[in-house]
This record gives sequence, structure tokens and C-alpha cells, in this order.
Amino acid sequence: MIFPCSPLPDFKDKIILAPLIPVTFRNKNFEFSTFALVDSGASGAVISTVIAEALNIKWEKIPVTQGFSVGGSFRFYRFTDLKAIIYDTKLMADHEFALSVSIIEAISLYKCILGQKDLFQRAKITFEGYKSQLEVNFREYN
Amino acid sequence: MKQNKIDFIKLLKGYKSGWIAISHDFNHVLFHGKNLKEAMKKAKNTKEKVYYFPAGESYSNFVG
Repeated sequence: MIFPCSPLPDFKDKIILAPLIPVTFRNKNFEFSTFALVDSGASGAVISTVIAEALNIKWEKIPVTQGFSVGGSFRFYRFTDLKAIIYDTKLMADHEFALSVSIIEAISLYKCILGQKDLFQRAKITFEGYKSQLEVNFREYN
Repeated sequence: MKQNKIDFIKLLKGYKSGWIAISHDFNHVLFHGKNLKEAMKKAKNTKEKVYYFPAGESYSNFVG
């Protein structure tokens, strides 16, 4: 299925186009729907602490881990029992998969990112910047 | 099949901070809160699926 890149505002009347896809996260009986940035450079999924709280994840009780990004080091809390649901408009069906997320405090701009260890394992993803779109084709499982 | 474009410029017009709750067809803002908790509280009794997104003035200069 094809997702057109989403236009986002900028200070200088410039348009930012971002590869955002709608996703629903589920932690047992708690669900939260948002838009995830699809980032081929991200090793795995990231959510902010506010999203973790909306999913009733007690992130403060998880041992802290040190991580690294292009901007330096950061602290995160690993949660391994989350489900992601992405609706496929082509098949008119949900794709649901388990994933491990890094929960990060004070994360700015994009509060949710999907990356290599999760979405990129489940689907073939083609970025077409010249068309301002990305194509996500989920793998078929028997 | 191509999904409809989600136009956050239109959706975020008038919202510079906090969180917005967006309709399931991604066409309009149902609620706004100064934080996610407030937006979720306002949307609590809504029967339709709601998508949440943080409101900001500018999304440029993101390096990830």
C-alpha cells in the first residue's frame, strides 16, 4: 500500500514532507493510535514516555539503558511486550505484530518511530522521495 | 491502493502546542489538549477511533 508523505508546518512557510503512517499500539487492554515516522536509520521502535503512560506501561520501573544516536547518548527503557497494528488499505485488513520499543523521555518532534527491528522485518518498504511517497508491502505468512 | 494524504498543515492550523485528537478518516481535529492526558480525557467518550499527534509550530531540522 502506498502512503503519501505527510505535509507538516514549518516556520518559514516551507512544507516539510515526512513518511508518517497511522499505527495503533496495544498493551493488553490499552490501545493508543498515532502516526509513526518510518525511519530506515532507526535500529528499532521508539515511543515517548507520554505514549508509554497512555498504554499503561510503568516505564519508571524498567531498568534504564544507555543508548547512542547521531546527537549523542540518551537514556531509554526497553519494553518488549507491545503489539503494533497497521491497517492495510489494499487488503482491507489489519497487520498485527509484536515489537520491542525503546521508551525515551523528553523526545522531541516525532513521538513515535518505527525502524529496522520491527516494521522493516515485517514489510518491504520502498521510499520514493521523487514521488513524495513510500510503499509498504507486508510479507505474507502461512 | 494509495492512502489519502494526511495533511498536518491543515490539521495543525491554530494549534502550536499540546496534542490533537484526529478523526479516523484523518480529515479533522476532534479535540485538543495542552498535553496528551487532557486530549485523551476529552476524547474519552468518543466512539470512533481517534489518532493522537503532537502539535508543533515547526517540524523542520529533524535529523534522525
